[in-house]
Amino acid sequence: MSGAGLAVFARFARWRLRSPRLHPVPDTLATMADQATFADQAMPYMSSLYSAALRMTRKPADAEDLVQETYLRAYRGFGGFEQGTNLKAWLYRILTNTFINQYRAKKRRFDETELDESEDLYLYRRLGGLEAAAAGRSAEDELMDWFTDSEVKAAVEALPEGFRMAVLLADIEGFAYKEIAEILDIPIGTVMSRLHRGRKALQKNLYEFAVARGLTDRIDPAGTSGPEARPEPVVVGARERDDEPEPRPATAGPD
Amino acid sequence: MAEVEPHDHNGPQAPKGHDHSGKCDEALAELYVFLDGELTEQKRAAIGEHLDDCSPCLEVYDFEAELRQVIKHHCTDQVPDSLRGRVAKQLAALELDGPGPTAGSDASS
Repeated sequence: MSGAGLAVFARFARWRLRSPRLHPVPDTLATMADQATFADQAMPYMSSLYSAALRMTRKPADAEDLVQETYLRAYRGFGGFEQGTNLKAWLYRILTNTFINQYRAKKRRFDETELDESEDLYLYRRLGGLEAAAAGRSAEDELMDWFTDSEVKAAVEALPEGFRMAVLLADIEGFAYKEIAEILDIPIGTVMSRLHRGRKALQKNLYEFAVARGLTDRIDPAGTSGPEARPEPVVVGARERDDEPEPRPATAGPD
Repeated sequence: MAEVEPHDHNGPQAPKGHDHSGKCDEALAELYVFLDGELTEQKRAAIGEHLDDCSPCLEVYDFEAELRQVIKHHCTDQVPDSLRGRVAKQLAALELDGPGPTAGSDASS
């Protein structure tokens, strides 16, 4: 392929990668130098991509397949990636598109207006400041120890998909609004709205899981309570899934 | 404190105990945008000044910032070695199969 042809093709590849349906770009564009640098540059993101994939698919087997598919597409399209631009955002765009096209359960479109609005500062009003003492949280209790890994992950995974994607991209992966807007292909205003509402919903979920665990401690001081002693928490988003079992609070496993 | 009014901005309303009412409402309205690092330098400085003066608001900000850390910290996972291996193998196979930069074949779509 001539230099000019290659340049045209590179532009084509970038356009295809931006379009909602992601098509693999032929390998011819990946030069040998690109192939060598791909491993160096892209592989270090695997653990964060895997975590994100877990939050999206909620199934480890699917998450692994999603990550593998993402790397395949990323590798094939790497010739179209502009060096010096945000590789992490580029990879997450591929991850998200692959998830949407292949793994998302077939269900009605995410409609934010259907969800009840939970309060602002939901957790702060219950666990922060003066309320903390009433909740049994002593001065020594670090907020970090208040929730287990399993509970936080379950609280995120219970969120409706639209909220979940925004929250994980912002709060877990640290992307800027503009980057989230590009990754999800939505306006920045929608990003901000989903973040605000998603965070409120997440706080409500966290609280429900914490309460479920806390109540068990009070009901059974011997500490031998099993799942049957634990009331089912009402998590935000549970209603949306009509083709999957209700999310359950993960039993506190090894963290 | 007045009851919370219906609002169309995205920020939280000040809980009980905040005295500066207007300024507290404004600071809390911008809470998430502040923590997300998306405010202008000017607005960020203005809120910083309010936080210096208002410990109830500062407490909220600290709590939310800490909660953000908690969520991020707890959502980490171990990548299975088998996955790393599969991806590495897959890429190696593509490198072997893929045409080099001098190949003249047409790009298929």
